[in-house]
Amino acid sequence: MSQAFLAAWLAVALAAAAGARAVELPFARTEEREPCAAYDPLRQPFFGDTHVHTTFSFDAWGQGTRAGPRDAYRFARGEAIGMQPYDADGKALAHIQLRRPLDYAVVTDHSDLLGETQMCQHPELPGYDSLVCRVVRRFPRLGYALVNGQVYSSERPERYSFCGEDGKLCREAGRGPWREIQEAAEEFYDRSAACRLTTFVGYEWTGMPAGDNIHRNVIFRNAIAQTYPTTYIETPTPEGLWKALESECLGAGNGCDVIAIPHNSNVSNGRMFTTTRPDGAPITAADARARARLETLVEVTQHKGASECRAGAADELCSFESLRMATMLDMASVGGGDVELPPRIYAREALLEGLVQEQRLGRGANPFRFGLIGATDTHLAAAGMVDEDRFVGHAAGTVSLRFGTPPYPDRPDFNPGGLGVLWAEENSRDALFAAMRRREAYGTSGPRIAVRFFGGWEYPEAMCGASDFAARGYAEGVPMGGELPFAPGPHGAPRFAVWALRDPGGGGAPSTPLQRIQIVKGWVEDGEGRQRVYEVAGDPQRGADLDLATCEPDGGFDQLCQVWTDPDFDPAAPAFYYARVVENPSCRWNQYVCNEHGVDCDDPRSVPEDLAACCDPDVPRAIQERAWTSPIWYSPPASARRADQPASAARIR
Amino acid sequence: MTVRRARWLLFVAFACTVPFPILGPFGGSVPAVRHVILLAATGAVALAEGAAGPVPGLLILFALHAAVTLALCGAAAWLGALLSAALSPAARRTAVLTVVAVLVATALLFPLYETPFGRAPTATLVGVLS
Repeated sequence: MSQAFLAAWLAVALAAAAGARAVELPFARTEEREPCAAYDPLRQPFFGDTHVHTTFSFDAWGQGTRAGPRDAYRFARGEAIGMQPYDADGKALAHIQLRRPLDYAVVTDHSDLLGETQMCQHPELPGYDSLVCRVVRRFPRLGYALVNGQVYSSERPERYSFCGEDGKLCREAGRGPWREIQEAAEEFYDRSAACRLTTFVGYEWTGMPAGDNIHRNVIFRNAIAQTYPTTYIETPTPEGLWKALESECLGAGNGCDVIAIPHNSNVSNGRMFTTTRPDGAPITAADARARARLETLVEVTQHKGASECRAGAADELCSFESLRMATMLDMASVGGGDVELPPRIYAREALLEGLVQEQRLGRGANPFRFGLIGATDTHLAAAGMVDEDRFVGHAAGTVSLRFGTPPYPDRPDFNPGGLGVLWAEENSRDALFAAMRRREAYGTSGPRIAVRFFGGWEYPEAMCGASDFAARGYAEGVPMGGELPFAPGPHGAPRFAVWALRDPGGGGAPSTPLQRIQIVKGWVEDGEGRQRVYEVAGDPQRGADLDLATCEPDGGFDQLCQVWTDPDFDPAAPAFYYARVVENPSCRWNQYVCNEHGVDCDDPRSVPEDLAACCDPDVPRAIQERAWTSPIWYSPPASARRADQPASAARIR
Repeated sequence: MTVRRARWLLFVAFACTVPFPILGPFGGSVPAVRHVILLAATGAVALAEGAAGPVPGLLILFALHAAVTLALCGAAAWLGALLSAALSPAARRTAVLTVVAVLVATALLFPLYETPFGRAPTATLVGVLS
């Protein structure tokens, strides 16, 4: 059955590719390049990482990372690179390599401290002999804590005095790395018909007022970018960032195009998805549209936890990679415990609030109309290194890798991060960027699960198994990221066609069978946001066992497919739907570590001090890896809307 | 050697060589004088550039460590000097200098210290004071 499905998918793809050249491209070509040989009008899933730090990021350099943007792209295309520790001659004493190359990658070094990081390293630059740089070099970890904290987590960030008047010297020093980031992206972008790797110019705007994470990754469509990246220090609000991107890129009239991807709303203390302006006034419809235009995606998972939904009784799977901390500064404390987490820190809560806001502001003015994507946030230039059995740490947190990778490479609540998947016709910048813009994207917690998700009104139940699954999906409805047209068919309720294939593995990468597909629905009723999770395919009981000693996966499905009709559809209620594809249980990274070191918790002598976390009952040993699709929205026409007005904020049931 | 001088010598030797744990999220063990150096470095940055973010917390952490470890060194030196009071000045001199020499030699020869804020994971006395 599985082979038949794959063969059908392949046949459709090849047939489509053959005729592809005859039709007009569905995306604008904004650059000179060869067309990709592998072109599919019904689109292909491309796996990559939009969140990669290199030695140009102060926190990465402070942890001993020396790999630069070129190394990151070498790594992304499958080559081995060195990592800390380094010997006296600067030779790396450890090496890392992907099992499977990526299709795309984006180096997103912190725009803040880009110049300062250089000045503290190079004696020829001004500021090298400053007190701060001396402390940073003499006490690297202290300097890391001081500088990171003082700049990133301040409500009123300022440049250090060695940056000169208005920070000019530091911005000047940052031009070199910014140029190198762009040159590396160009050098490693495969413009040949092979289309092996797509790179984008990008950076991270690193706002963290009072420790509340409001970071955004900024990604440019092509080689045309801002002359200097926007920084939190000079532009300390997201509104300021959006304004800068509008004026310096989108409105520049030079072909520049850009999106911003927020990440780690889970440690934003509720400040990532605000519905007020900096002055406290409620956002307007124009604000909502501007935000939705720029922030088409949200990073749902990465090293510092998942940001999908709130752990609790409502949805048992929300405890996956859940951090028990409200702000980034809480990472300085050990453990965490029972922290009271503020409202609206998860993507699902923001999606619900978006529906409420759209009711208030008018159709199309949903500030949180975003899709979901996964990434790593590696600070080792290790783009897409997500395998649980190869986790080498985040390299920018409280566990230092400066002296080498410890046996237990990171905090127990961190994880190897995820991947972003883009459905595009070909692996080129324009095609991938168009996918990000229209939100035809999804995130995985690491595995390369392939997921199709369409919404429409008349999909037949026999669609699964048909050779024209994708063709019908597009022709009779919308893919993930889209909005359902209001045209109810004979069933009177929307239908969703979802098809998932397990990660095929390969290159030594693990391949765990699928367990089930769920559809998560959020809607507004009586002005309140509500949510429900529907089981639509698979079986939670099948292959749920896992042998922790061997980490061998059990049972499960090679693929799952279902056409599902919403049984509770209310045509008057705005709603969104997204699919969650869940694998069978597999070992979490810590279990691989503990197995490798022969830890037996029944024998205290086998548990060295630095592996004590192996026996912490609060640290999960198994996880269920997953994929989260971007939502499909339903917005009722004016004739179907009820007169009720939304509450000021979404309450979630 | 007077008892007072013995006390001071022992205090300096203990403060420079005896490793004390760093409590809190960082771990490690360093002599009291290292806590003072870290306090001084952080304090200097705070004075020159302001104390935002985690700087006040770090200052408190290092100040507490410096105060407690110096107090412990002082108490140990006071006790050592008290015990040496029964000795003749010459014997006291020999005893105190022997203790100091052993401590310093050990600290110079062996990487006794775990230095989470430094450039290497472990260090000898030279590494700690340089």
